[in-house]
Amino acid sequence: MFRYIVKRLLWLIPVLLGVTVLVFSIMHLSPGDPAKILLGPKATQEALEQLREELGLNRPLYIQYFTWLGNILTGDWGRSLQLKREVLPLVLDRFKATAILTMTSIIIATVIGVISGTVSATKQYSWLDRLGMLISLVGFCLPVFWLGILLQLFFGLKLEWLPMTGMYSPGSEGNFTDLLLHLILPSLTLAAGAAAVIARMTRSSMLEVIRKDYIRTAKAKGLSQSVIIYRHALKNALIPVVTVVGMQVGFLLAGAVLAEMVFSWPGIGLLMVNGILARDFPLVQGSILLVATSYVFVNLLVDLLYVLLDPQIAYD
Amino acid sequence: MRKLVVLLTFLTLLIAPAALAKDDNTIIVGLQAEPVTLDPHQITDFNSSRAAKGMFNSLVEFAQGSTDLVPGLATSWEVSDDGLTYTFHLRKGVKFHDGTPFNAEAVKFSIERQIDPNHPYHDTGEFAYADFTFGMVKEVNVIDDYTVEIVLKEPFAPFLANMAMHSASIVSPTAVKKYGADFSKHPVGTGPFKFVKWTPGVEVIQESNPDYWDGEPEVKRVIYRPVLEDQARLAELEAGKLDFIVNIPPDDLDRVKKLKGIKVQEQPGMHVWYVVFNTQKEPFNDPRVRQAVNYAIDKKAIVDGILQGTGVLAENVLPPVVWGYNPNVKNYPYDPVKAKQLLAEAGYPNGFKVTLWVPEGGSGMQQPVAMCTAIQAYLSMVGIQAEIQQFEWGTYLDKVFVDDYESMAEMHVMSWIGDNGDPDNFLYILLSSEQWPPYGFNEAFYKNPEVDRLLRQARVTSDVVKRTELYKKAQELIMADAPWVPIDHETQIVAMDERIQGFKLHPTGVFRFEKVTIKK
Repeated sequence: MFRYIVKRLLWLIPVLLGVTVLVFSIMHLSPGDPAKILLGPKATQEALEQLREELGLNRPLYIQYFTWLGNILTGDWGRSLQLKREVLPLVLDRFKATAILTMTSIIIATVIGVISGTVSATKQYSWLDRLGMLISLVGFCLPVFWLGILLQLFFGLKLEWLPMTGMYSPGSEGNFTDLLLHLILPSLTLAAGAAAVIARMTRSSMLEVIRKDYIRTAKAKGLSQSVIIYRHALKNALIPVVTVVGMQVGFLLAGAVLAEMVFSWPGIGLLMVNGILARDFPLVQGSILLVATSYVFVNLLVDLLYVLLDPQIAYD
Repeated sequence: MRKLVVLLTFLTLLIAPAALAKDDNTIIVGLQAEPVTLDPHQITDFNSSRAAKGMFNSLVEFAQGSTDLVPGLATSWEVSDDGLTYTFHLRKGVKFHDGTPFNAEAVKFSIERQIDPNHPYHDTGEFAYADFTFGMVKEVNVIDDYTVEIVLKEPFAPFLANMAMHSASIVSPTAVKKYGADFSKHPVGTGPFKFVKWTPGVEVIQESNPDYWDGEPEVKRVIYRPVLEDQARLAELEAGKLDFIVNIPPDDLDRVKKLKGIKVQEQPGMHVWYVVFNTQKEPFNDPRVRQAVNYAIDKKAIVDGILQGTGVLAENVLPPVVWGYNPNVKNYPYDPVKAKQLLAEAGYPNGFKVTLWVPEGGSGMQQPVAMCTAIQAYLSMVGIQAEIQQFEWGTYLDKVFVDDYESMAEMHVMSWIGDNGDPDNFLYILLSSEQWPPYGFNEAFYKNPEVDRLLRQARVTSDVVKRTELYKKAQELIMADAPWVPIDHETQIVAMDERIQGFKLHPTGVFRFEKVTIKK
């Protein structure tokens, strides 16, 4: 097990190196000159030249890459061209907001998904099953920005129950309850799609499991329905679900940018989009690197969870 | 079930105070995006200039609501007869928010920091507007504590207007020395509002300056929040969570105007949106073809149908809010028959094929794709097949500001937002042949020696009456040559809580809350 973890962690190195090469080349091969965007249309040619020189944009690409990589490894993630702030604290701070949003969403999605999937499976073809699956189909199809605006208009504007944008009340120091209130709408919006996928996965996996021999044995032993479902069936049915949940974390991290946009949530997605538009190389590269790293770690965590769920799986 | 009820009650209790917590002396402003910097010398975008303006003053200020110049940190000034020396007499007893006294040294510091590469604090930022604002400055001399003299390299009539721009704001030298490059996060000026806190992505908080030289503002706190989604921003205003917002979506404008408790303020902006011809390349090197396109496009229909009241029809290259505007110059009316006739005269009876470059969006570009699709349709009606090529804004800027007109499309679209309220800032900058890219913004590569002469002369003449005459003449010639199709001047539109009294929109697009009161 320990060896497995070490091996997986070592794999991180080539994966992340690949990410850096990819991010770096995409950013630098895309058209648009950061100096021009940074100084605005009213800058002179000399000023542009000088800035390109200062930023090292005049040097060959591979030198720029290795310089950047070297700096990253020594903890110097550079300075955002546009925001003029150190990249590392900036992306970490923003990532915190995204992580809060994504994690809340995945928890909500998993709870809703697993419960409704289990109910659907145990009451297959009942109206409850059909309704659940219909809702999950709709939930999956709703675009984040549309659902988000709808929830804002209903719960924020019409009922005035919940705040519509931001992470804390404006001008406040921000406490936990304030954060929770601000979290409700964006996390529900973001969770909708993931909950639908998880529900469908749970349902099909559950259906498969409850037809297995050992469930029949359990029934024959006279165990109650709830014990059969929650002790025997669910745990075994969850393995593919955990995989899906892990993958959804990735989708949510990527999808968070839309929710962040609609809800003005100060997360990393928003920062990245603005960074891309401004050709803010250090900022975008730093953000993507951080998100990619976290995704790789989530995947590792999911793989380790299998062992807990199914002792038959062992890593050597 | 009982647990659920308790939980819901608890949550309701939490929500109730949140809804009431709004402070009567606070204005919460919903911006379109996050400010990038609060250092006035480094600002290039609206969100930053809006969030920063209240904290700073310049020697000369724009009057409330217009680009007329009024005393700011200078109480009076004189210009020498040769137009080269500007002497400013400074306001006494003014202090920066950090307690540093305001004096002639601070003025010298604020200008030299930007233009002198050897200045010890030149490396504390990138000063995109330095050359535009102070490129003509030869030296800044401190005469005494309260008198400063600025000597120019050559007479430059718009200079005084430049001194009211955000790049001419006077910053606290102590603060720049203390924070260095981080001054943009710790702005210190002399303005009516003091910086309190900037949480990136969340808000910029300012409070009133009790020692402000023009009296402490009645508004005690201003909070600038980026709320990116237009719909969300509007909903927050309707719910009373924001007091003041920008950019109302055109489709919602009529509805917002009818909302109770909310008022809308509009003003034609210092802006122009236009189609640029590549005047050095066929077929648009022939003025008749350019005129034909001007006749072929129904500009009014675009303004009414697509912009829906968020812009006014442009009659001229210069917006009417800028002095020197010639009201006798009229835009080409919609006349497809005349267009076809001109095309035939120019040897294109069956039209031709061209490429039209369009950005997806961008500062001042309004709705470029929808507008250009309409333009494309109008052109096809007179036989011109325009192929639209779309680019993301950053890429687009890169493609249009190049020195090689051969590499450019026959047509593209652009917009310009005025900086200092001077006609020179539109006419010379955009249409003089001395301003061909990459050194300037005459992307039409338009050249008319007579226009060049008029614009150059207006630049070095200090008499406003004479300058007005020169500009009026230039506008006639330019519109006859038709290097552009001017489409519209964007209307600045803000919506606010109706209790906000005395707010005036400013042509430069900044918000000034120092004279605003809030009706209780």
